[in-house]
Amino acid sequence: MPAVRWVGSRVVGAVVVLWAVATLIFFAIRLVPGDPAEAILGGPGSQASQASLDLVRREYGLDRPLLVQYLDQLGRLATGHLGESYSLKQPVAAVLAAQVPPTLTLAALSLVAAWLLAIGVAWWSSGSGRVANAVASGLEVVASAVPHFLLGSVLIVVLSTSLGLLPPVSTGTASGIVLPVITLAIPVAGFLGQVTRDSLLDAAAAPFALTARARGESRSGVFWRHLLRHAALPGLALSGWAFGSLLSGAIVVESLFARPGLGRTLLDAVTLRDIPLVTGVALVSALAYVLVVALGDLAERLVDPRGGRA
Amino acid sequence: MRTPLPAVVGTAAAAALVLAGCTATGGDATGTATPVSGGTLTYATGDAEPTCLDPHVGGNYPQALVSTQYLEELVSKNSDGDVIPWLATAWKQSDDGLSWTFTLKKGVSFTDGTAFDAAAVVANVEHVKDPKTLSSTGYLALAKVDKATAVDAQTVRFDLSSPDSSLLDSLSQPWLAIESPTALKRSQAVNCESPVGTGPFEVQKWVKQESITLVRNSDYTSPPKDAAHTGAAYLSKIVWRFLPDSASRYAALQSGEVDVIDNAQPDSLVAAAKSSQLRAIDAPRPGASDRLELNSSQAPFDDENVRRAFITGVAVNPGIKSLFFGTAKRSYSLLSSVEKDSYSDPSLFAIDTANAKKLLGQAGWTGRDSDGYRTKDGKRLTVRFPVSTNQSIPAERSLFEQIQQEAKGLGFDVEIQQLDLSSWYGALAAHKYEIVSAPYTKVGPGVLDILYNSSSITPAPSGYFANNAQVDSKQVDSLLAEASAEPSETKRHDLYDQVQKIVLEGYYVLPLYDQQNHYLYRTAVHGLRAMPTVSTPSLYDAWLQK
Repeated sequence: MPAVRWVGSRVVGAVVVLWAVATLIFFAIRLVPGDPAEAILGGPGSQASQASLDLVRREYGLDRPLLVQYLDQLGRLATGHLGESYSLKQPVAAVLAAQVPPTLTLAALSLVAAWLLAIGVAWWSSGSGRVANAVASGLEVVASAVPHFLLGSVLIVVLSTSLGLLPPVSTGTASGIVLPVITLAIPVAGFLGQVTRDSLLDAAAAPFALTARARGESRSGVFWRHLLRHAALPGLALSGWAFGSLLSGAIVVESLFARPGLGRTLLDAVTLRDIPLVTGVALVSALAYVLVVALGDLAERLVDPRGGRA
Repeated sequence: MRTPLPAVVGTAAAAALVLAGCTATGGDATGTATPVSGGTLTYATGDAEPTCLDPHVGGNYPQALVSTQYLEELVSKNSDGDVIPWLATAWKQSDDGLSWTFTLKKGVSFTDGTAFDAAAVVANVEHVKDPKTLSSTGYLALAKVDKATAVDAQTVRFDLSSPDSSLLDSLSQPWLAIESPTALKRSQAVNCESPVGTGPFEVQKWVKQESITLVRNSDYTSPPKDAAHTGAAYLSKIVWRFLPDSASRYAALQSGEVDVIDNAQPDSLVAAAKSSQLRAIDAPRPGASDRLELNSSQAPFDDENVRRAFITGVAVNPGIKSLFFGTAKRSYSLLSSVEKDSYSDPSLFAIDTANAKKLLGQAGWTGRDSDGYRTKDGKRLTVRFPVSTNQSIPAERSLFEQIQQEAKGLGFDVEIQQLDLSSWYGALAAHKYEIVSAPYTKVGPGVLDILYNSSSITPAPSGYFANNAQVDSKQVDSLLAEASAEPSETKRHDLYDQVQKIVLEGYYVLPLYDQQNHYLYRTAVHGLRAMPTVSTPSLYDAWLQK
């Protein structure tokens, strides 16, 4: 039963990843200066009284040995308890429930947009000669290297301030999601385009492409039915990576366009040393990453029926 | 890298425009227009989103900004800096200074229907002083208050452990606003979501990372004495949005998506000055000026000559002028220019690099290493400068880099460390700093007692200490104690002058400018003002032109 084995190995892998993430976060956040008791008492530099500090340390178990706290934390996580956010005084699960959907929507739309952009450019340049090809690959290199905050700011100035086409901030209107999606999609599209183009050129030069043309297939028929299948494979394999980069890009983009979501939650939580919330966001992101990699793997098997590579 | 707004190229002409635009501190230019009732105003804040809307809990500026719309204090201040009545109509200090009696306004109710009376004030004092509330700013401000007692329904007495001349200043701050005692009895989580006050608006809904919706309190009766009108507010609703990025915040204002923004940056101010659609309010925060403090408790700044060399050898004026495009005025005082007791002495800060080099030589820093830095006994003249990226705007961080370059000319190796807020406090607590810039907002000259009293060298239980310059002077301590107990305003003023002179003349501090606090708003908004207490915006008198 290869399917069961495949699922089983994925689940074991996911558990190992989640444990590693939880452990890393637990110790890493304690290595940097900053007292979690202070975070609970209204942020760093709080001039909290000794009585308040003692109360908090006792209540949150911060006065116990680190190893005990770590095991306790693992035990809680294993039973599905993410704890309560220090800064928001809300259950972490509730915060995540509110913040995961906007970020997933943003990341998913951006991934789709990135694929559309990458394939569109590939389609346009594949049949338009050497100059188009050079222009396209130049664009892709620039796109994949441009930082989100720069791209986002330029888009705001051009599309929003100067042309007044789209709202500069994301909340309030449906069209508000367009600029954040474009900002996130362009660098990923550049990257996907680069890997897709290489395999597209290889496939176009392969004998089966020539045979198809000889059979009388149109250029677009060859592109969509034959070449793209080959060319998309490395891109699909990288979709997991692309999704991860979208999640990290969300930290910048959500702040820039004032969108609610995991990225902003993580940024605030790290600044405030809100350990339960940081752990919660990291675990959810890791889980999403594991899932998307598995889905990419699955999609790869569907596109490439040769199979048997796992 | 900074945001590539086209306006970042500052010109002398633009700077002049900004200065012209900023001198009109609020109010509305078309003062004859009749206020219109109704409408929704959208306010976009660049400050952090509060984690709790009750400013008793913790107690920071983002909480003060928004709670000014729905909570009120016992007293306020007018634009001359005088204490004026608010929820308290009169007050009296006992001869020994150990008790204060407040007469309260009659007929005021909280928005949940609870009556505002002496028992409510007592409940609030108890709430702030209860360790479970986790109050820091309010708790500190009430440090000398032992207890509050209801004498009768309209009279409340505060009993103090020692006289506190800054009690009224403290009580004017949003961190000691009065909340409904009925609401305070709910769990902290619930009270954080929807605190209940007597203010012109009430909290309706808080969508995290997005906005807080405030609606008009139609039964409102208790404006401060200096408000422009009485009765309910004009606006029917306020949407208080969180737009952390300064470029998108300004873009949203330009496009009309929002009506008012805070934390306007120098480039936005320059751009706004050229727009006929936008106006500016320059409302420096009270308390301390923004300044560099030199840690005098350890080498090399334990030597006054070295401190003096740094302060008189490093020119900061050109940097302030070019990086802030003329939107920030150089300060020569420990205190904000809004403080009546601010003492200023530009002559102490005249640049004399030749003399600075001589002073460093006298201090024994005569060697030079291969990188051109001064050395003494083989040790380089290194000074660590942790910078909190959360508390410092890009223009200021660029200024610090210019200071680093300037100081290099004298032979100082200034090590700038950009840190997040927690790490920054960690560096301070561990004394891993020689230079630091730490903002401090508080109403009144009492801030001097927090920043320069030697008792503030001892860390609070949380590790925090406010005397970053480590000024340890018996003379300063006794002058501050005298001022705290001195009932006469003129005599107090003189005592605070002496304190400021000693600290400035000891070259512990390099003042830069007031704590910058600029609001921008669309011309359709009228009646917006910054409170003379902690410079938070008040939307009570505000109205929108249709």
